[in-house]
Amino acid sequence: MRETAETPKLFAPAEGIAGIVDRYGGDRDMLIPMMQDIQADFGYLPREMLKELSESLCVPFSRIYSIATFYASFRLEPPGEHRITLCMGTVCFLKGADRISRAIQREFSVGPGGTSPDGKFTFCPVNCLGACALAPVMVVDGEYHGGLTVDLAVNLLRKIADAGKPTEATRNGKKKERGSKKK
Amino acid sequence: MSTVATGLKTANDLEQYRRHLLGERDPRAHRVRVCVGTGCTAKGAKGVLELFNRTAEEAANDGVIVETKCTGCHGFCERGPIVVVDPGNIFYHGVKREDVPEIWRESLTGGRIVERLLYKDETTGQVAKTPDEIPFYKAQHRIVLAYNGVIDPTKIEEYVAVGGYAALAKVLTSMEPKEVIDEITNSGLRGRGGGGFLTGRKWRSARDAQSEPRYVIANGDEGDPGAFMDRSLMEGAPHSVIEGMIIGAYAIDSSQGFVYVRNEYPLAVQHLSTAIAQARELGLLGYDILGSGFDFDIRINRGSGAFVCGESTALMASLEGRVGEPRAKYIHTVESGLHEKPSLLNNVETWANVPQIILKGADWFASLGTEKSKGTKVFSLVGKVKNTGLVEVPMGMTLRQIIYDIGGGIRDDKAFKAVQTGGPSGGCIPARYLDEQVDFDRLTELGSMMGSGGMIVMDEDTCIVNFAKYFVGFLKDESCGKCTPCREGIAQMLHILEGIAKGEGKDGDIERLEQLGTLMEDTALCALGKTAANPVLSTIRYFRAEYEEHIREKRCPAKECPGLFNYEINRDVCTGCGLCAKKCPVEAITGERKKPHAIDQQKCTNCGTCFDACPFSAVVKV
Amino acid sequence: MPTVTIDEKPYRADVGETILEVAQRNGIWIPTLCHHQALEPYAACRICVVEIDRGGWWQVVTSCNYPIRRALTVRVNSERAIRARRGVMELLLARCPESPQLRRLANRMGVEGTPYPHIAAAQENCILCNLCVRVCSERIGASAISMVGRGGDRTVATPFRMSSEDCIGCGACAAVCPVGTIDLIFHEDEVEISPFETRVTLRRCAECGRPVGSELVNEVLASRGGPTLVEMLAGDAYCLRCKRKKLAERLTAAVPGNGSGRAAQERSLPGGTNVQTGLHAGNPRSIRVGEAG
Repeated sequence: MRETAETPKLFAPAEGIAGIVDRYGGDRDMLIPMMQDIQADFGYLPREMLKELSESLCVPFSRIYSIATFYASFRLEPPGEHRITLCMGTVCFLKGADRISRAIQREFSVGPGGTSPDGKFTFCPVNCLGACALAPVMVVDGEYHGGLTVDLAVNLLRKIADAGKPTEATRNGKKKERGSKKK
Repeated sequence: MSTVATGLKTANDLEQYRRHLLGERDPRAHRVRVCVGTGCTAKGAKGVLELFNRTAEEAANDGVIVETKCTGCHGFCERGPIVVVDPGNIFYHGVKREDVPEIWRESLTGGRIVERLLYKDETTGQVAKTPDEIPFYKAQHRIVLAYNGVIDPTKIEEYVAVGGYAALAKVLTSMEPKEVIDEITNSGLRGRGGGGFLTGRKWRSARDAQSEPRYVIANGDEGDPGAFMDRSLMEGAPHSVIEGMIIGAYAIDSSQGFVYVRNEYPLAVQHLSTAIAQARELGLLGYDILGSGFDFDIRINRGSGAFVCGESTALMASLEGRVGEPRAKYIHTVESGLHEKPSLLNNVETWANVPQIILKGADWFASLGTEKSKGTKVFSLVGKVKNTGLVEVPMGMTLRQIIYDIGGGIRDDKAFKAVQTGGPSGGCIPARYLDEQVDFDRLTELGSMMGSGGMIVMDEDTCIVNFAKYFVGFLKDESCGKCTPCREGIAQMLHILEGIAKGEGKDGDIERLEQLGTLMEDTALCALGKTAANPVLSTIRYFRAEYEEHIREKRCPAKECPGLFNYEINRDVCTGCGLCAKKCPVEAITGERKKPHAIDQQKCTNCGTCFDACPFSAVVKV
Repeated sequence: MPTVTIDEKPYRADVGETILEVAQRNGIWIPTLCHHQALEPYAACRICVVEIDRGGWWQVVTSCNYPIRRALTVRVNSERAIRARRGVMELLLARCPESPQLRRLANRMGVEGTPYPHIAAAQENCILCNLCVRVCSERIGASAISMVGRGGDRTVATPFRMSSEDCIGCGACAAVCPVGTIDLIFHEDEVEISPFETRVTLRRCAECGRPVGSELVNEVLASRGGPTLVEMLAGDAYCLRCKRKKLAERLTAAVPGNGSGRAAQERSLPGGTNVQTGLHAGNPRSIRVGEAG
C-alpha cells in the first residue's frame, strides 16, 4: 500500500504518448487520466507531450491547455526535488495551517504552487487531505506529518533540505496544542 | 487463508462460497487487526503491522498461529494507530512499534490485557476494554461504517464472509427492478452528498428516462474541507459502495458505472481498484452477473483537484474529459447527464446504504431517524472537539449529544461557540441551538445544511469573521469562474471581509455582504455559487455583534485578526529567556536577561512570532 | 404548442424554444452578453435572468437557455428580476470599467454605476463571456483559444500564451466580442489578433491595398470543400469597397452601346478562372482553387 497524496502511478512509464493513449484505447473521455499518467511519468506536463497528445487524439491543443490550467493538481513546470503538500482544510486552518503556509513561503522563498529557487521544494497547498484528525497536516514526498506547529514544519523541511531524508524523530511531532496557549 | 474462488455462476454459488469461507474460520483464533486508514498510517500503523506480521511468521514456525490483518478506518483517528485483538475485541490505541512485543506476549498469546494501552475516559477515569465501552463509540449506530475496522478492505472474501453481495444475489434472483426502486423509495433514503433528494425518486426518474444507454455514477469527490467519511468508506469498505452501485444499475437498467474519486485520496483509489478487480474475477461485475443475464461494469476516474467537480454536471463534464464547468440543470441529469444520457449519480455513502436496505428491508431503515430523514448519517466531527473522528448516528440525534456525549466536549474545556455543518455551502450554528435535532430539514431551517456531513466545532478562540473569510477564500479558489455572480461576487465578498478583518470595515459592509449573498443565491449558475454566501449569511445572522465590533470598534474579540488586538508579555510568567526578543523581526521586544521582557507597541507589527516562540506561554493576546 | 405568458401577456411558443427566443420574437427586450444566435447558449454572464413560476414559488432562471417544454409563466420586468440583472451588471462594471459597450448596455438597463471597487487582476476588460472561444471552436473549427485557469484568475488565451498555430486570423473572435476587448491590428503584411499575440499573413485588396483578411482563412475554407472564401468573404481579390466599384463598372459596361464594357465583362465570367488569375497568382498556399485550375 502506498501512502502518497500525489497522483499515484497506476502504470509503469509507458513508451511515450502512444503507449498512454493505447492504455485507454484512444478514448477521448479519458483525456484527464491520460494527462494524469503523463504527470505521473514526468512529474509535470511538458508542452511537447501535450502537443503530441493533442495530435494523437485529435483534440484541440487549446482544450488540453485549458484542462491543464483548470485542475489544480496539474503542473506545467518541472517540480522541485521534494514535494510539500500542505493541507489548508478547515480543521488545519483552525489549527494554524495558514501560519505554517506563510512560514514555509517565507523560509524557502516559494509561492503556492511554485518551486523554491534552489529547486529543493515544490509547495502545494491543497484544500483538504481528509486527515483532519491529524491537523495541521503536511505530506512531504508521500509521507504524512501530523500535529504540526510552525517550528516543527520548518525544522522538518530544513532537515530534509540538508539531508534529503526525513528522520523518524521529526515525524508525528507535536503534543502541545495551540489552543492551550491562548488565554 | 482461503483460496479465492473465481467466476461464481449463480447466487447459490455465492452462498456456497460464503459458507466455505466461514467454515474455514476458527472462532477461537487469535487475531490482531491493525487499522491502516490514512490517519493511523500517518501515525505509523504500517510499522506496527509489519512488526506484527514478522512476529506472527516467526511464531508460526513454533506452531503458534496468530492471524494478522489490516482493516479500514475505525473513525477514531485522533487516537491512532488503533490495534484490536481477538478474541475479546480488545481495543488498544496510540500503539507504537515498541508496544508490539508486549501486546503479543500479554494479549495475543497470554490472554491478558495491556492496561496502559486501553482507552481511559478523561473525565470519569474509567477504562474501556472494547470499543462498545468507549463513549465515542457507545452512542453510535454503525450501518455503513459497520465493516470499517472489522474486515480487510483489500480482500473480497472477507466482505463475502460477513454477508457481502447477498443483497445483490437477492435482487438478481428474486426482485424486479421496479421492486428494488420501491424498496429504496419506501426506506425514505435521501442523498448523503448534499441536497438530500429522495434517492428512490431519483432512481425512478432515471429508470423512466427515455434514452439509452443509462449510466450509474458514484460521487466520491469529497471536497468539503473537514469531511472525510467518504474517504474512510472507500478505503475501509469499498465493496459496499460497489455492491450498492450494481444494485442501482440493475434497478435502472444500466450497464456502465463510474466512480469519481478525489485525487487526494490515493488509498481510496487503490482499494477501490483492487475491489473492482476482485469483483470482476468473482463474476460479480462483468457479463451475466450470477447467471442473471444482467451485465454491468465499473470504471474509476480520479479527480484532479477541483472542488466544483463535486457538483453533478461538473463531475460529468470531467468524466467526459473536459473542464469541470457546471451547466444549467433545467433538464435534470437523470434525463440528460453524462454524454446527454440518463445518469444516476449518488454519493458513495448513499450507495453504501443500499445493500443494507435491500437485506434488512425498507421498514427497518425507515424505523431509524426522524420523520423525514431516515436512517443514519456519518459525520466527521472535527475542530476544537476532544474526540475527533467519524461518527455514525441515527438522524435526529441532537447536536449536543454528538458534540458532548460522543465528541467529549470542547478541548481544554473552552466554551463552545458554534458548529459549522455542511462545509463551504453550509452555515454556522450557535450554542443556543445545541439541543436541536440533526436532520436534513432542521439544519436547513437553521440556515445551514446537512451537506456531506462535515461538523466543524469552534470554540471561543475562533473569530467568526476570520472563519467566514476562510470559507469565502476557499470558494474563491475553487469557483470555476464561468458565471459572473460566483466569480465576481465571491471576490467582492472576500474583499469586504478582508477589510473588516484588517480593521478597515465601514458602516454598510454587513448590508453589502447580505445583498451580494441574495444576488448570488438568485443568479449563480450552480449550487456552489448559489450557496457560496451561506457561511457569511449564517454568521451574520447569529454573530452580527461580532462583525459590528470589528467594524465599529476595530476589535477582534476572539483575538485572531492581526491588528485588532495586541500582544503583551505577562510579567508574572516571563522568565526573561530572551527567545522572543531574539526572534522578533522588528526588534520590538526588550528586557534584561532573566527579567521580564516587554513589547514596544509602537514598533510591534502583530506578526505573532513571539507568541509562537515563547516556551512558557508568557506572551498573551489582549 | 405551449403558451408562454410573459409579464402577463400570452405568446405562442414551440417546445424546445428558449424564453429568450420567444421574448425576442415578440419584441420584448432582455439584455444579453454571452449570447449569440449562431452559437449554443452558454448562460455564463447571467445578465438575461428572468423569473418563472414554479407553482407557488418563483425561480430566477437564465432566459437564454431555459427550454420551454410546457406552458410557462415568466416575469421579465418584476422587481426581483430587474434587481438581479442590475446586480449582475454592477459586478461586471466593476470588472470592466473601461468598456464603452458595457456602459451603454448598463445605461439602457438603468444602471448608473457600480458600488463595487475594481479588484479583478486578470484580463481586466474581458467579461469572460466565452463567445470568442465558442465561435472559434463551434463555428470556425480552429479552437485556437480557450479559457485558461479558473475562478478569478480565468482568462482567455492561446495554449501556453504563445502565438497559436491553430489560429487562422479570421477575426471572428473580435467580431463577436460584446465589449470590444479583442482587436485586429493590421501590420504591413500580417494581421495580429490583439490580446492573443497571434499573427497571420494578411491579404490585401489587389486594387487599393486595404486589408481583406488572412491568407489562412482562404486556405482553410477552401480545404473544407464548402463555399470558398472567394465566394464567401472576399469575393474577388478586392475589398468590399473596390468590389462594389467593380460591380458598378461591370453593370455600366453591360449596358448595350457602351464600348468600354467588354473587357470587364470577360473578366467577370462565372467560374474559377477569373479568381485564379486575380486572386491566387503567386499564392502557393491556396489549395482548392489551385487544384480546380
